[in-house]
Amino acid sequence: MEESGSSGGAQAVINLGIGSSVPISYHASFGPHEDLLLLEADENLVSDIFSGRVTLRGLPDEDAVLCTKSKTYAIKFVGNSNSMLLIPPSNTPGFLQDDDESHVSVIKLAPGNMELVEVSPKLDKLKKLLMESPLNAGEVEDAMMMDDGEKNLALYTWSDLANTIQASDEELRKGLESLSAIEIDGYWRVIDESYLDMILRMLLNNSVLNSWCFDGLDEEDVVSSLVADEFPSELAGHCLRVFGSEVKEINKWKLEPRLVCLHFARQVLGEEKMRLESFMEEWKKKIPEGMEGKFEMLEGEVLTERIGIETRVYKFSVRSLPSTPAERFAVLFKHRPKWEWKDLEPYLRDLHVPRLSMEGLLLKYTRRAQSRPDAEPIFSAR
Amino acid sequence: MEIRVKCGCGEDECSEWTIVELQGVVETQSSFQGSVQSLEIGRLCHSDSSQYTFTVGYHELTGSKVTLKKPLLVLKKLQKCTDGSSQKETELEVVGIIRSKILFKTRPKPLFSGTSGK
Repeated sequence: MEESGSSGGAQAVINLGIGSSVPISYHASFGPHEDLLLLEADENLVSDIFSGRVTLRGLPDEDAVLCTKSKTYAIKFVGNSNSMLLIPPSNTPGFLQDDDESHVSVIKLAPGNMELVEVSPKLDKLKKLLMESPLNAGEVEDAMMMDDGEKNLALYTWSDLANTIQASDEELRKGLESLSAIEIDGYWRVIDESYLDMILRMLLNNSVLNSWCFDGLDEEDVVSSLVADEFPSELAGHCLRVFGSEVKEINKWKLEPRLVCLHFARQVLGEEKMRLESFMEEWKKKIPEGMEGKFEMLEGEVLTERIGIETRVYKFSVRSLPSTPAERFAVLFKHRPKWEWKDLEPYLRDLHVPRLSMEGLLLKYTRRAQSRPDAEPIFSAR
Repeated sequence: MEIRVKCGCGEDECSEWTIVELQGVVETQSSFQGSVQSLEIGRLCHSDSSQYTFTVGYHELTGSKVTLKKPLLVLKKLQKCTDGSSQKETELEVVGIIRSKILFKTRPKPLFSGTSGK
């Protein structure tokens, strides 16, 4: 049998010709090398890593997650009871030894490797952080009178959030969008609901005064009218984004009736449970002319309960619920032990769990009961 | 914190490492005193197109080369002191990639001196 001769290291093993043999030794620096880790990665992830698009995120007391541009992965260590002799190429910086070229050397016995499991981004913390200091009218007034640096508020830049929230950039952006957050002076803020109400009502007012059509609002006109009423221009534009959608073809904004009506429904209900008839009356009064408030618009935002012959309605927003399935179902069943599908579905619609369909989610977290084959199924906690 | 996973090279130039995987544990003889660094473990032979043997002491293992369905990246964890601050920052760098391994799954065949075993 011939010696493979001239090269050592991993190459000698990988290229070992048929009929050839090579001795394998412990490296001169063989040791535990706990700073050397093996990570299993599919080809997509490998490309992402080589393009510098992968980071590990989390606080020291949390399990780190690995984030690509758009996905989040939990990192699991999988042990291997086999002996994995790890062999670097010869001339590996940091592991040089004499006569490297002719040796095949084992640098470490790898106890296993890290595996990645795709997970949902952990966005609950995002809401908690931003709700520490929602932007309100008072702050805006104060800002006009004093200079920066006097704020004693908990404020977070994009970089602060990326360092603390375990989500990929894309998922973080989507999370901010779903909170209707806005970046002001480099800090991401949510707007206090009553302040947002002031801005919206002024926007609606000005539209009516100027005979603007809700389906074709001009951003510049809207913003300048609100600035004239002493609202910051970024907030004016933001209001359009929160309650409307862009009509790109004509470069205008259309107010979405569902979003506007929902806002007023929430204003009417406050923290109370109202009789349905009273609510509908009050609600209709607040809705701007030209828009119609339909109860179906409030799916996933309000719940009704029957007390005797009365039906009461109250705020119960899907956006106030945890984003992870186990916690979401726990809160839902604590609130109400039994649900009909038509009531439950709006509160599950936004749940996206890798590798699990809605059927799978229901199977995993709920118990389904049907009194008769043609009856409505009732869901309760598992 | 946010740790970027860095690599000093592109995907194509990344140095290729490999693994020889055996069931069980390689041990030194009980009479051996000292450190294992630089000690020979055994001899790897590519005996046939799809067969490899690994002879360790008096045992011969047979196995084959396996291409990993998902490559393994070799990462090195570095603790760096960022300039100007006393804080240590962790960095992860890709130092290699493993695309194949030689896997020995069979029971070791004892070799007796003078015979090549059955």
